[in-house]
Order: sequence, then C-alpha cells, then structure tokens
Amino acid sequence: MNTKPESQSLAAWVEETREGIDSGRFPVRAFNDQAVYDLEQERLFSKTWCFLAHESEIPHPGDYVTRYIGNNNLIVARDEHGEIHANLNMCRHRGNVMCKAEMGNASHFRCSYHGWTYKNSGELVGVPYMKEGYEGRLKRKDWGLVRVRVDSYEGLVFGCLDPEAPPLDEYLGGFQFYLDLYLKHGLGGVEVHGPPDHWIADTDWKICTENFAGDGYHTPVAHQWGFHLGYFPSSGSTHSQGWAVSIRGKGHGIGLGHGPNFPPFGGFPDDLVAEMKQSLSPEQVEVFSRTRTAVGSVFPNLSFLMQPFSLEPGEIGVRFVTMRLYHPVGPGRMEMYSWCLVPKNASQEYKKEAYRAYTLAFGQAGTFEQDDFENWTKVTQAAGMTMVRGVDFPYIMGMDSAPDPEFPGPGHAVVPYVNDTNFRNLWSRWADYLAGEA
Amino acid sequence: MGEQPVDRDTASAIQEFMFREALALDERRFRDWLAMLTDDIRYEAPLRVIREGLAVWDLSPTSRIFDDDRQTLEVRIQRLETDFAWAEQPPSQTRHFVTNVLADPGDNPDEYKVHSNCFIYRSRGTSPTPSLYSLSRKDVVRRTEDGWRLARRWAAFDQALINAHNLSILI
Repeated sequence: MNTKPESQSLAAWVEETREGIDSGRFPVRAFNDQAVYDLEQERLFSKTWCFLAHESEIPHPGDYVTRYIGNNNLIVARDEHGEIHANLNMCRHRGNVMCKAEMGNASHFRCSYHGWTYKNSGELVGVPYMKEGYEGRLKRKDWGLVRVRVDSYEGLVFGCLDPEAPPLDEYLGGFQFYLDLYLKHGLGGVEVHGPPDHWIADTDWKICTENFAGDGYHTPVAHQWGFHLGYFPSSGSTHSQGWAVSIRGKGHGIGLGHGPNFPPFGGFPDDLVAEMKQSLSPEQVEVFSRTRTAVGSVFPNLSFLMQPFSLEPGEIGVRFVTMRLYHPVGPGRMEMYSWCLVPKNASQEYKKEAYRAYTLAFGQAGTFEQDDFENWTKVTQAAGMTMVRGVDFPYIMGMDSAPDPEFPGPGHAVVPYVNDTNFRNLWSRWADYLAGEA
Repeated sequence: MGEQPVDRDTASAIQEFMFREALALDERRFRDWLAMLTDDIRYEAPLRVIREGLAVWDLSPTSRIFDDDRQTLEVRIQRLETDFAWAEQPPSQTRHFVTNVLADPGDNPDEYKVHSNCFIYRSRGTSPTPSLYSLSRKDVVRRTEDGWRLARRWAAFDQALINAHNLSILI
C-alpha cells in the first residue's frame, strides 16, 4: 500500500498522480474528493471542448435547450438564420436566469426581473427606460449575454469556455474516424429519438467516462445476466477479442469488441449496411464490419455505445446507439444524460425496434445501466473513505502491448479488447489538465 | 368522465384488481404479476420534460423511461430471477400506494380506462434515505374469462429529474 501524508499539497498530489499513471497506478481519491472536484472545475472544464447538444434537438429557428459546461448553465439556441449559439444563461443586468425551461422555442429571451431582452443569438436588444435611465451611457452591443465558443462535428455541438483553446478538429485529433460509426451509420446522418433521459446519481463522472472508454472487462460479470440468458451475443470465453484504440495525448478512447462467428455488421438491417458502405471510408468499413460492440469516450465526459441486443436467446438481435453525457454536480455526484441516436433516413420499424432495445438496456430503467450504476455508486462511496486516501488502483493491464501495425485506423490500437491502455491515456490527459499543462 | 358511468360493483372489482396488482409487485411475486397482464400489454413511462408554461407537451411524445411489451417485461422478470441482477441484490423494498382510482368505460366493451395516483416508497439496503416516486397512471384493464387483466400501463412521473441512481423496480 502506497500511503501519503494527509498534509501533502494538492499540486504535489497531482504531480505524483501523473507519475503514477505512467507506471500503471491511479489514486482512488480522484473519484470522490472536494479538492479534486474544484480543481477539475477550474482547470479542466474551463479549457476542454464539452458536448452541448445534438443539432437534431434544436432543428428549427428559435429552438433551444439549456445545458452545462462544468457548473455553468448555458442556453444553446438556433437563431433566426439557422446558426447555433451558446450563451451563459444569465442576464447581464443583475444575473437572473433567462431560460428556466430545459427546452423550448423563442425568438427572444426576456428577463423576468427588470425586462432586459435579448435575441436568441444573445444580442441585447431591449432595455426598459433606456433613454430616461441610462441617458445614453449604456451601449447595447457591450452588454449581450456572455458568449461561449461553439463548434460542431457531424451534428454534435460542442462548447469551449477558453477562447485560446485549439479548434475542435484538433481537439478531437483523429477520433472523428471512430465517431463516424455512431454518427454516419446511414446516408442521412443520425438524429436523437427524443429528449434525453436524465437523472441524478451519487457517482463520479470519471467512472462513467472510463467505463465507456472501452471497459470490456466488466461486461461478462457486471452484465452476466445477458450472457447467462443468451440475450447478449457474446460469451465469457471469447469476450476479450477485439481492439482497444486510443488517441495518444488527447484522452479519447474506444473499445471495439469482436465476436468469433459474428457476421459483418450483424444486427443492422441490410439497407442500412448498404448505406454504411457508402457513408464510411474503406478503412472504416474494414474496422467496423468486424465490430460487435463499439464503446467509446470523447474526453472529458461524452460517450457512445453501439451494440446489438436480442430479445430471442441466441439470435443476433437489433443494433442501437446510445450517446451519454456525464455532468458533474459535486464531488462523487453527477447528472446523467442518456440519448438514443437513430439513422435519420431509416425505416420507422427499425427506429422503433432500436429504441425498444435501447430502453431495455440503457436509460435509468435499462437492465445494463441499472447494474452499472449499482457498481459505480459503490465505487464512489468507497473512494470517499479516509482510509483509501493514499491507496492506488492498478492500471497495468496491457502495459507492454505494442500497437497493432496492421490496424487500418488512426490512433494507438492494441489487442486484446480487454486492456487498460485506453484508461492510462485518459487519466494521463486528465492529469495534464489538472497540472495546468494542457 | 364517461357518459355511461361504471356500475359500483365493476368499479369496486377494478379497484381491488389494482390493489392486488400492486401487492404482487411489493411482495416480489413477479410471475404472479406477469399473469395479471394481457398478452398485448403496453407498458410505458413517458419522459417528463420541463418546458415553458404554454408548450404543447411536457411529456415527450417519443422518449420513454419504460417502453415495454409482454416480451420485454418477460426479459426483465427473467433477469430478476437470475443471480446476476446486481441492481436488485439486495432487493429494493417497495410499497405502492395506489389511490384516487377512477374507472371509465373503455374503447372496447370489456375494457375500462382507469386513472389512479401511485406513490412508491423504495428503500435499498441500509440506506436511511428512501427514493420516493409520485406517478399519474392511466391504465386500461380488461375483463376476461380468467378474470381481470392489465392491458395497458401508462405512468408519468411527477418529476423531470428523478433522484435515484437507477429504476430497477416496476411501477
């Protein structure tokens, strides 16, 4: 056991954590600690590109949703010209909340306190008693809503609080190759099936990001019921097959689980497979046609999963895609957002089947999700115990695995699928931000 | 309210059926509960979304917390019968308080639309803090040769952001 003095400064702890990750150790404390949480707000969520919304959630001019980056509540709105803006959900005059709903449609936002009115783009247009009160001293252009940088990839709208941060494309750093599986599995792209299911849990957001960065290791145990009853097309003995791919220095990672006798693109309707062969590159087709389960995380807190789920034991079943966002609301506490993505042009029948499989497996009543949260809340609880403050976890699986030279995609691809390489990459990036070096 | 009110005996029988159905869930007699459902059961919990006061909908037309039929409910129950339903080990203690039961004639001669309030108390393990769920239910019950059966459960939570780490119980 590696014990450290209580009095150790946070900066020293971060440095020691960075060194530990390189040798496959990670401190338990990171998952439930006020000081770590505060440092994440200050140095991580203020600098990274964070997911805000899918464009299909706000398809029409005036549509908006309210979302978060760290502890900042934002309005994400499509203006009258179709452009998407993100602004702090706070009146510039005295700080009142502008939009109290989670979603809606409005051309203008009017503050309910003194009546300052903004266009949905954030521009200040109305100030009561402008002439009489301000006598020409107030310039409307100087007092718009506080603007947040936005950029998007294939319908995913991200925001960044740091004006100096590199552009989204560079931030994603090649992970787009893998995101395409979730976002371009149909010629028309994808849309959300509806608003996200969201709920509060006493779980640290990082446990979820890590799990979805490719934790194939937990599946045969945590979700054993699915294997046991034959509803999940894999078995404990073959479950480790496949690749774990990480984007070095960026924190993103994906697990691509294989099945020995799994047919190419199994679980998709034939017409969708035909579309994918057009929408994806030959390299993407080569990687994804063999993939049974694709589970990936965009650093820091957005994840995706695609897998088939069968209602008939032994059958391949139907593929669905879920997208999830882990919004931190305190040390060891988060708000979970879970969406189902469906191919925009797919048949209603497939959309319905995919959604049914999604709700059976994911969302707060989902049978896979239920068990994940049971485990994750217990891990979080344990991480809050004083006795574990100097204790590390072993992240040493696949320490020596070399990248597969034959792998056709970008990034660092290792076998087997059950591997800690993605997690070391994730925590290394996280620690860079906490050290102020990202 | 329906034009032809439901007679008192029928209303009373429907109310008793609702109470027995809740009792089966609270006593974790899930096979008994499944036997109380029709083969064409629809079991749905629409997602509540906080929108402006005059919005057209506040229950999502497309998003569901539960979106089940007979086949998927069977899967849920089979899962609970394995040794690997970790979310329910140890099991939740639930109490369904079903009140304000109102029955109206349904769309078919043997069917009745039943509105009820349902309040669920759920405790887990040694946690002193229970999860509390308040729901509005608009169900359909059917009179069959074998007795009353639930043909549709539609239950909307009175909270948009549910304060529980999962929903491993039935509503």
